Amino acid sequence: MLSSRNLAECRFYRERMGADARPIPWGLAELEAFAAIDSSDPFAGRVRRGLAPKVSLQLEATADPSIWIALDPPELDRWAGVVERMWKRWGTVPGEAIAFFDYGSSPLVLLASSGYVGYLRRGAAERLGLTAICNDGVAAMAGRMVSIVEALEPSMLIVRRDLARPFSLALEAAGTKLADRVRWVAISEVEGCTNRREADQLSARLGVTVWRILRSDAAFLIAGECAGCRAFHLDSAYFAETLSTGHVAITTRFAEACPAVRFDIGLARLINGGCALEPRAQRVEC
Amino acid sequence: MLSPARTEAFDDLDRLSSASLDRWWARKLKRVARLGFDELPFYRERFAAAGFHPTQFRTLDDLHAIPVSKKEDLLAAVQNSGSKLPGIKSYTAGPDARMTVSLSSGTSGTTFVMHTRRWRQLQGYSSSRAHWWAGLRPGTPLIMSAPAWHAYASIQPSIAMHFNNPCVVVSGTFLPRFADRIVDAILAFRPRFLTMFLPMVFSTMAAARRDGTSADRLFAGVETLVVTGAPITPGMRSHLQDITRVKRVAEIAGSSENLLAVDCIHAQGLHVVPDTCYAEVLDRTTGRPVPDGQRGSVVHSSVIPAGSLYLRYDGGDAGVIDRSPCPCGLPSPRIKLFGRWEDCFTIGDNTLLPYDVQFALETEVPELRGAALVITREGLANGILRLLLAEPGRSAASLLEEARAGLARRFEVPVEISAVRDLPLRFKGVPPILSEREAASAA
Repeated sequence: MLSSRNLAECRFYRERMGADARPIPWGLAELEAFAAIDSSDPFAGRVRRGLAPKVSLQLEATADPSIWIALDPPELDRWAGVVERMWKRWGTVPGEAIAFFDYGSSPLVLLASSGYVGYLRRGAAERLGLTAICNDGVAAMAGRMVSIVEALEPSMLIVRRDLARPFSLALEAAGTKLADRVRWVAISEVEGCTNRREADQLSARLGVTVWRILRSDAAFLIAGECAGCRAFHLDSAYFAETLSTGHVAITTRFAEACPAVRFDIGLARLINGGCALEPRAQRVEC
Repeated sequence: MLSPARTEAFDDLDRLSSASLDRWWARKLKRVARLGFDELPFYRERFAAAGFHPTQFRTLDDLHAIPVSKKEDLLAAVQNSGSKLPGIKSYTAGPDARMTVSLSSGTSGTTFVMHTRRWRQLQGYSSSRAHWWAGLRPGTPLIMSAPAWHAYASIQPSIAMHFNNPCVVVSGTFLPRFADRIVDAILAFRPRFLTMFLPMVFSTMAAARRDGTSADRLFAGVETLVVTGAPITPGMRSHLQDITRVKRVAEIAGSSENLLAVDCIHAQGLHVVPDTCYAEVLDRTTGRPVPDGQRGSVVHSSVIPAGSLYLRYDGGDAGVIDRSPCPCGLPSPRIKLFGRWEDCFTIGDNTLLPYDVQFALETEVPELRGAALVITREGLANGILRLLLAEPGRSAASLLEEARAGLARRFEVPVEISAVRDLPLRFKGVPPILSEREAASAA
């Protein structure tokens, strides 16, 4: 993790250092406000001075101004490791296929394979011996997603929340049942997480376990719901702390080119100490 | 620096003579034919039915003994095998579950294309050659211009890493509603080399205009704009140069099934990228090679012994081949695609592709270069070449009348041209032939 001296190399953090020499927790609104002041910096002051990162990703959650995050190759690999471990907790078997119904630009897709983004050494699917296929993340492609399910028989699906309904309608129209062929479906939001009730309803409709993903690309945060306690288990790549406001802030240990320190994910409950499935994990309920 | 006349060689393959390249191709094709026979049921069965055995393969002429395959054959193989995938997946690099799969969609159905790590390495190197020919050089940021479901996405990372280009990933997908995000990416990272699907060039410029950004500012610093996804006419190329002020507009033709060709600085046809594929142009009736310059079916054979293997694959494209020496010095022949045979139509004594109509239009009325147009089905059904032209601009009435008269004279058929506010834009652009109702759906 970066020291406060290194953080001071980033204008965004330099201007929000607290008396305790730690950055004041921040969220997307603060990032957007900073970006609005200096539109010449695509990274909103978060990339350390003098660095020219190899990979830049445009945040989908912010539009005007457009904001980018950046990584160097080792960081990209560590981020893919987070995704690998999340899938592993839900269960995968080498030789199976995982299919995505999301934009190819989503980190959940990009981190799956070195075939999807440059400078990634081994994506999550490659680490787990999985074949990856991505359908374009627009509702009009729901029928093609059904074709993918029927033809490639993926055991795992990652679906954008806004595509869950068109996908389930297309499955029903085709008479295709997921229950006998898909082990799990994971549902993701661009920012934050789907509420549990909605995920349970989708699970009932599809006849398959549906796991939720907590995501915030600005902080490189990806966390999966636990099969045991249903809280989000934070990978060891993250450190979480409870703020006096009742919010939870996340610091991403691997993010050095574009540090993510004390990112406020909003109102949440931090549970230190894991559950039976992962006794040492930090957990978040939101 | 690029020589004004010759393409700088990417490696020694570019320095071969045409005859040496043919011998190189023969060796590569013999290897993949052998691979197809040994490992892939789809080809073993087809070779057997045609009485072909790879040991017979000596020269490029022997390629003609291999039967031509079409997407329908792949889909039939899927049906017949009971397996969900046709037996064209090659495992030459050893069993590799860690593949990515992309989709090849079309009117006849969707097939799946397997990309093993080995395929990505070989195709990535070959595609780096293609992009080198098109003008990509080390250092410039590479804006990732295809979503992960497309085959191009599987090679872009390799290209970026070959040239040590930073990768810039634009969020969303390549639909007009995301064009403003591409504008942001171009303005923020200032690439010198830009690849875009043709329709996205117009969507991106429209998004920039809405934001008060001129084309000059948007494309400032861009030395090469590569367009792909649709064949461009000479008029479209010069139109793109005019509106973007980019000095070089290059065309790449590619397919998920390993066709790849790129034009050189002379832009007189697209050089076949030799370590991706070998290309032929065949008579649609006889299946025999057509003379240079004569239109036929573009049939290609992958030379990459990994991933999904396509041998003598007819992807449904109409085109010509030119084997004459190119002033740029590259040894591979040039092809030019004109569109898909499924869009071919007959009117009067003419058998035409939409490309021909676009070309005729820009020839008759140069002011209409680059105009988006649709040919209506109702017109064709009644023996009338009826065109809908989007936003022809000022002096539209006189230009349209001039165009109407010129096309009627050229094709000797009745011609009607109407100006419309908008045309339906889909992933690959405006569909060339639509019913009036479909065309009106964009309004």
